[in-house]
Amino acid sequence: MQADAMEEPPSILWGLDPIFSAFARLYIQDILQMTESVQIPGIYFYNSHPIYKVDVLGTVVYKRERDNFFCYGVDDGTGVINCLCWKGELLKDKDDGTGTAPAPSDPGVFDPVVELKKLKQAQQKRCRLEIGELLRVRGSVKTFRQQREISASVFYKVDDPLMAVQIQWMMDVPELYRECYDKTFELQSDGHGESAGTPLIKATNLIKDFIKQKSVSRFRPYDVQDLLQPLIFNQLRAASAEPEAAGPSGCQQLRQLLKEVLQILQDEGVVYRRVKAQDEVYHVTEQDKDLLIAVKDIIREDSKREKCA
Amino acid sequence: MLPPHAVFHFPWELNCLGEGKSVRTFGRLSCYEADTSRATLSCQHASKEHHVFVRTSFVEPFNPIIGAQYLVLGETETYEGFGVMICARVLSCVDGVNIALLQKAIEGQRSFFRERDSFGGGGQHR
Repeated sequence: MQADAMEEPPSILWGLDPIFSAFARLYIQDILQMTESVQIPGIYFYNSHPIYKVDVLGTVVYKRERDNFFCYGVDDGTGVINCLCWKGELLKDKDDGTGTAPAPSDPGVFDPVVELKKLKQAQQKRCRLEIGELLRVRGSVKTFRQQREISASVFYKVDDPLMAVQIQWMMDVPELYRECYDKTFELQSDGHGESAGTPLIKATNLIKDFIKQKSVSRFRPYDVQDLLQPLIFNQLRAASAEPEAAGPSGCQQLRQLLKEVLQILQDEGVVYRRVKAQDEVYHVTEQDKDLLIAVKDIIREDSKREKCA
Repeated sequence: MLPPHAVFHFPWELNCLGEGKSVRTFGRLSCYEADTSRATLSCQHASKEHHVFVRTSFVEPFNPIIGAQYLVLGETETYEGFGVMICARVLSCVDGVNIALLQKAIEGQRSFFRERDSFGGGGQHR
């Protein structure tokens, strides 16, 4: 069921988890409860997924301002976390834009001083929040003085007068959990000799290899059926450990697998059928001299026309 | 230092909560008494009118728009004979919000948490 808390996948494999490179939209409750990695502090685990950066949306319920940063306490309904939002150069200026608005500039005349003042004001508006406003924060998770917090790389005020953004968020996050975060990601390195892949992939490769090696130009299904026998045999052997259940017999499984593989090969263009008849004859595209001659003739005919010359 | 998180509740669920719970709820502003710092939010549900009483001392001054939808975040206080009142920390006007969709989103979130908890702490890595 739940993996032993001490059993972490080796850190070298963490990059294989797509969630590791994304800003995970976890609930703040989960961010606060994630366990820290023993291998590398600063990386946390949620359901065997290594996480170090997150994306939250919530109401500001606490605010502290210093010269260099804002510290906003963000509440998303499941938990409250401190977000450390560093001030950019424009915000640090004591001469903030909350004073007089810049004089309307002459259209066509670019005044850098006026534009800079406008930029400062815009930045102030997006970064300076009051309690009750909605904040979006993307950043890395850190533990500071035993308290978990988010060190923001991006943060901004969200204008959401109709709560549309919050409602959408509330509907999106459970889906993300179901599709990604709550699915365990197997980070075991493949120690088996056989190549990874479902029986279907293995079967497809088997037939492709056979056709290539024997330079087969055409075949009927029963010619290649035996190649797939070992795959079915393995499956049956694995299944025999379980109690007898009514299911397809070995023969039926073989025929079904063969049918699926031939369909895949047709879709990929490796083989094709000239005539749709009871007698299934498959032609291998690469080996088909007649097909090549036919294609060459078509090209020759088309090139004779004026517009293609 | 940080206040406790405020869980979304529907206006008709508030009377069951006790004292000191941090909640988030919504309703239409039907009445505001500035002198006593009291506001009333109303909501129709199952053909009954539900009222949420709000103490607005910490969010004043605010521009009261009677009839507009508001979102309130705060702690519950119980008063003898009166019922539950929310001491608001946040009171925002969200007029125009799609209440049905908000309700659906809250219920969706709740059912997700129930699902997860029923798997014995589901994905939680403790």
